Amino acid sequence: MPRAPDLDTIAPDDPVVVVSAKPKKTTIKKTPSSPDSRDQKFRQKVYQLIKGATKHSLSSFLARPKVFTFDFRDDDEEIILVLRRHWFTNIPWIFVATIMLFSPLLVPATSILDFFPTEYQLILAIFWYLLTFAIAFEKFLAWYFNVFILTEERVIDIDFFNLLDKKLSEAKISMIQDVTSKTVGVSQTLFNYGAIFIQTASEIPVIVIDRIPNPNLVLQVLQQMRSEEEQEALEGRLR
Amino acid sequence: MIDQLGPILDLIKAIFTFLGAFIYFIFAAVIVKQVKSMSKIVQDKFNTILIIFSYLHLLFALLLLVISLLLLLT
Repeated sequence: MPRAPDLDTIAPDDPVVVVSAKPKKTTIKKTPSSPDSRDQKFRQKVYQLIKGATKHSLSSFLARPKVFTFDFRDDDEEIILVLRRHWFTNIPWIFVATIMLFSPLLVPATSILDFFPTEYQLILAIFWYLLTFAIAFEKFLAWYFNVFILTEERVIDIDFFNLLDKKLSEAKISMIQDVTSKTVGVSQTLFNYGAIFIQTASEIPVIVIDRIPNPNLVLQVLQQMRSEEEQEALEGRLR
Repeated sequence: MIDQLGPILDLIKAIFTFLGAFIYFIFAAVIVKQVKSMSKIVQDKFNTILIIFSYLHLLFALLLLVISLLLLLT
């Protein structure tokens, strides 16, 4: 019989107990009737639906983001989806900003600035580029910070209308009564974006999320989340 | 007569330029405040970059204000 190497802690005649490096995995299978497994069924379906969606911070359709969070989030609240306006809706302001950026190159040909002294020409140039930046930056901020968030418990719509006005709407998923999606026009059909109308029994009757990508997919995700909440309500586990 | 009006017109031009630059500086400061306030509500990886951009914008607005002030004083 082999002897134990550590004689201070083990009696000399004790047999060596060889512990394998990889302990055997013990899987605890939940019974099909357990409440969690029924919840998991809906949640797994949601994960399947949003599988393959990007996790990049500058995405319009952010699925289960790791870095993203919001101010009034509960500690253990999982974020399922973060939606912004479809990228195509940014084309008009990008176009305008590009024209504004390159238009000073045409000015020398038109001699518009000849009326102004040199120092004023410098001020005008700085002001023009600052204004171009401010317009583009403000539009980008409006896109980046106007988000619709779907967590495992609620839907949150954060709207910043301009630099000074903001609106926060929130509804529990259990309070959602009806969800409708709407796709109108050529560009929305072509690029697959549209609006979602969420009717709730809470203080805010309708939450409108406009021009979001994959409205039908969002609709399906919301349906699954509602089913999960209904299951929780039936079992009296509603938070 | 026109020769006498010239310096006064220059002064008016300089005053209006300074006022415009001052208003733009206030606007740039509001943008900084707003980006910081938005970043508190929605937190993501790019928030720091956006705050830096807003401060750079404020810095250039300050430069515009300084140039217009120099124009007013000279």
